[in-house]
Amino acid sequence: MSALAEKLRQLRTQAGLVPAADSPSRAGVAPSAGAPPAASAREHLRRLLDLRPARALSRQPLRHELPLLGESVATGVYAMERCYPASAMTPLLPPRWPDGAPVARERFLLFDTETTGLAGGSGTRAFMLGAADWCEGFLRVRQLYLTAMAGEAAMLALFASWLRPDTVLVSYNGRSYDAPLLRTRYCLQRMPDPLQGRTHVDLLHPVRRRYRGCWENCRLATIERRLLRIVREDDLPGSEAPAAWRSFLREGRTTALMRVLEHNRQDVVTLARLLEHLDEGALPLLD
Amino acid sequence: MSTDLARLIAEKLPAPPDPGRLLARLVRRYADRITGRFTLPARAGCYAELPDDLTPALRTALQARGITRLYSHQAQAWESVRRGQHTVVVTPTASGKTLCYTLPVVDAAIRSRAKALYLFPTKALAQDQVAELLELNRAGGLGLRAHTFDGDTPGDARQAIRLHGDIVVSNPDMLHQGMLPHHTKWAQFFENLRYVVIDEIHSYRGVFGSHLANVLRRLGRICAFYGVSPTFILCSATIGNPREHAQALIGQPVQAITESGAPCGEKHVLLWNPPVVNADLGLRASARSQVTRIARAAIRARLKALVFAPSRLMVEVLTKYLKDVFDHDPRKPARIHAYRGGYLPTERRRTEQLMRAGQIDGLVSTSALELGVDIGALDLVLLQGYPGSIAATWQRFGRAGRRQQAAIGVLVASSQPLDQYIVQHPDFFLSASPEQARIAPDQPLILLDHIRCAAFELPFADTDRFGGIEPEAYLQVLAESDVVHREGRRWEWIADAYPANAVNLRSVADGNFVVVDRSDGQQRIIAEVDYSSAALTLYEGAIHMIQSTPYQVEKLDWEGRKAFVTRTQVDYYTDAIDYTRLKVLERFDGVRAAAGSANLGEVHVVRRVAGYKKIRYYTHENIGYGPVNLPDQELHTTALWWQLPQDALDQAFASRQDALDGFLGAAAVLHTVASVRVMAEARDLMKSVGSGDAGAFVERDPQGRGRWRGDDQALEAECFTPTVYLYDNYPGGVGLSDPLFRVQAELVRDAQALISACACRGGCPACVGPVLAPAGDASVTPKAQAARVLQLLYSA
Repeated sequence: MSALAEKLRQLRTQAGLVPAADSPSRAGVAPSAGAPPAASAREHLRRLLDLRPARALSRQPLRHELPLLGESVATGVYAMERCYPASAMTPLLPPRWPDGAPVARERFLLFDTETTGLAGGSGTRAFMLGAADWCEGFLRVRQLYLTAMAGEAAMLALFASWLRPDTVLVSYNGRSYDAPLLRTRYCLQRMPDPLQGRTHVDLLHPVRRRYRGCWENCRLATIERRLLRIVREDDLPGSEAPAAWRSFLREGRTTALMRVLEHNRQDVVTLARLLEHLDEGALPLLD
Repeated sequence: MSTDLARLIAEKLPAPPDPGRLLARLVRRYADRITGRFTLPARAGCYAELPDDLTPALRTALQARGITRLYSHQAQAWESVRRGQHTVVVTPTASGKTLCYTLPVVDAAIRSRAKALYLFPTKALAQDQVAELLELNRAGGLGLRAHTFDGDTPGDARQAIRLHGDIVVSNPDMLHQGMLPHHTKWAQFFENLRYVVIDEIHSYRGVFGSHLANVLRRLGRICAFYGVSPTFILCSATIGNPREHAQALIGQPVQAITESGAPCGEKHVLLWNPPVVNADLGLRASARSQVTRIARAAIRARLKALVFAPSRLMVEVLTKYLKDVFDHDPRKPARIHAYRGGYLPTERRRTEQLMRAGQIDGLVSTSALELGVDIGALDLVLLQGYPGSIAATWQRFGRAGRRQQAAIGVLVASSQPLDQYIVQHPDFFLSASPEQARIAPDQPLILLDHIRCAAFELPFADTDRFGGIEPEAYLQVLAESDVVHREGRRWEWIADAYPANAVNLRSVADGNFVVVDRSDGQQRIIAEVDYSSAALTLYEGAIHMIQSTPYQVEKLDWEGRKAFVTRTQVDYYTDAIDYTRLKVLERFDGVRAAAGSANLGEVHVVRRVAGYKKIRYYTHENIGYGPVNLPDQELHTTALWWQLPQDALDQAFASRQDALDGFLGAAAVLHTVASVRVMAEARDLMKSVGSGDAGAFVERDPQGRGRWRGDDQALEAECFTPTVYLYDNYPGGVGLSDPLFRVQAELVRDAQALISACACRGGCPACVGPVLAPAGDASVTPKAQAARVLQLLYSA
């Protein structure tokens, strides 16, 4: 251990020690032990490691940070619930539904995750899960988020408990993105994957089929604005979610994380609106 | 009557090809060129029955393939692996190594659907392996599912392979970048993983080997997560330390099987020195001319010949010379083929097939054929020049040989001092043991890379080790840069990045160049050239040969990695003029080293192609030069260097030439002891002798003496500070220089000991480097000058 620490310290001091070119040889003088590595030494190590440039280390005092919303339901997990009056409680027929028979609204669970990045693989995790369903005349939005890594197993177990045997999952690009990512997380926690074998309607594909070329792209934000005419105010772009979570984890900053929570809530509400919009039972088919 | 007819026919028929006759003729006619001749006796096969506990379906499949008994080493491997021991098999080329791992793997797959992972250093070898497995599968109807999994595997096939493959054949790079970071997708595979097969482990040395050892540490973590501990089966060509090397790679005890039971015919080895053509200047005929001559004789005698040429360029030149003799009729299929990196994979596969089928009489190759690509039996292997190591020489000779018949291997020396030393000291060659493969898996920067990748794959708990290492210090460094986050007793990955993509196991830079043929008004990709040799072979004006058809490079798009060529008819080829220089960017540290100094710092190594020569075929006269305007090949790395002040030099040496010889020799010895000290491959640590101000560099002339070479002609200037550099041949430095700097005094001391222990008189490859015809007085030989330099750098 000490030899190893020594090696690393050497690597750092390497770049920090810059004796003047014409200074007398420093025979027998070992690089001073225990000296704090200079900022340039860290830079050097970072460069060797091919990491991103150092984040500005301005760890300013926390001011005006919002309190965490929701309540703590397990170690490291917060939960949040809101209900909105449902526009209707009639059955819905999702696009290309196999038997053509409308499905009771109560069976749908519309979900979306916020993740620590787009890199994929076993190092990317979901730190927030939002799910909407219809019950007793309301659209209920339930959200879970991690306040510590240790909460992951509990959060995944809670999400699994929301699924019933006849649940129909609804997502936007979830078949290719959210579901495989969650499968990895369940696997790493040695838990069975609750999404496995469940019916899963991915609205990205019917939207693409129907509206390809109509607008600049088929991202959920675009569809929401163009098709559903929903305008969000002060929305945090989804791409900033990973940084928001890391800054919460590392520095305790909550404001951006709470904006992610709001973003996620709106996403699942939009999913519900989109499913209603695409209801083939109500909608006269185009062409 | 009929017997007469049979006799008549027999007399008219040409005699069957016989390497023995060619050998006798060569020995008779060229006795003065053959400096050494050894015969390795034929070896009878040593056999064993098919094991009793072999599953019947596999037994049937083997018998259907004509395998009714095993060689002894195959049976030993079966026993060893069945006992659950990690096993390394070290036997010559074509001794049936494959069966050593095929038997236990296929047996386990049939019995219990156990899975196996095969790792080969190249995709081509992986494809060979799958083809062979599928043949066995067909022969026995085994229902075996064997697939390659690499960058070429189509996306839709990947899922099926992950779920259903019994044997997944891949390479270290794919395991590192594609499988381990996505291990949850491979959960079923890992849960049932019983065997890991790693072939050609002699090729995993130095930086590449150190990376692989760490990839295997990561594999070990993943296996532990899924609750398996697979048995490793490793194979190697002959190296000095197979068992030790295998243990270093997998970090566990390994059983070694080193006695081959395969029969082999007699093998004759000739060391061949081209004749002296100018006695006054001591000039010899070129190795190329000798190789062409011997190859011609062999092919005329209807023997199958394989020629190893020292470079891609020489492959093309030799191919052309042989084609001029044997392939002048375009209506007939070609008898001579070239084989080298840079040809498209499909073209190489075709050449291999033709060679196996016996339809090629002469094959000219680079070192690409050193690995176990199956090309069938050969009668003669010709080496143009010493490949640089004893192990590689025997590996190449190992390509020659048939079960029953004698085979010939010829090493033709070039004029390089090292080559000359080898052929003039045949006893040294015969008795030298093969080189040892060395890796340094605990090299800090490589470790840091892989601990980063490992943290992405699974979190580290406080008690987790990584190989033999406690990773905490590394994890702290990673936490400082927000890559991992410590919570409770665990370190968890939090960055938005895929770290394996930033770590290249082979440390190759920047992608391949494609060669685009525009001859017929259309664009056709005809070859690929790797980044490191692009500057040397694809400059504008270069004659780039593909299967000895000349193409001229018209335009090189360096950024786009494309070279545009057209077919051409010229009677010359081109050869790049390049040189390397080294510049100190920053000195981190320095100490007094007796009369001089030793230093550590960051250096900039530049390799520049300054121009090219046009060389006419056959006469080899130089018929012109062309300029080359290409970006320098740059390497930013760490180095240590020794210098002596001018007054010390003036006192100790009679002339600057003497001092130069001394520095050149000292560099060779220091390089040797340093390589041993850090257990590095020679190619990972490079040496150079230059002036202190980077203005000029010293190269070795054909006599083994030092000679300045540089941009400016002001070499005779008053400032004369020859410097020995040792630098990491790895972008960013591989961390060799720093530990070496800390023991620099011991290095100088060991170097002195090496010189004084060497029995040679004036210098040899084993100490200061090859020296020809050392001068009369023993006190002024390069060896003595090198000892003098070291003396000035060392105080007890």
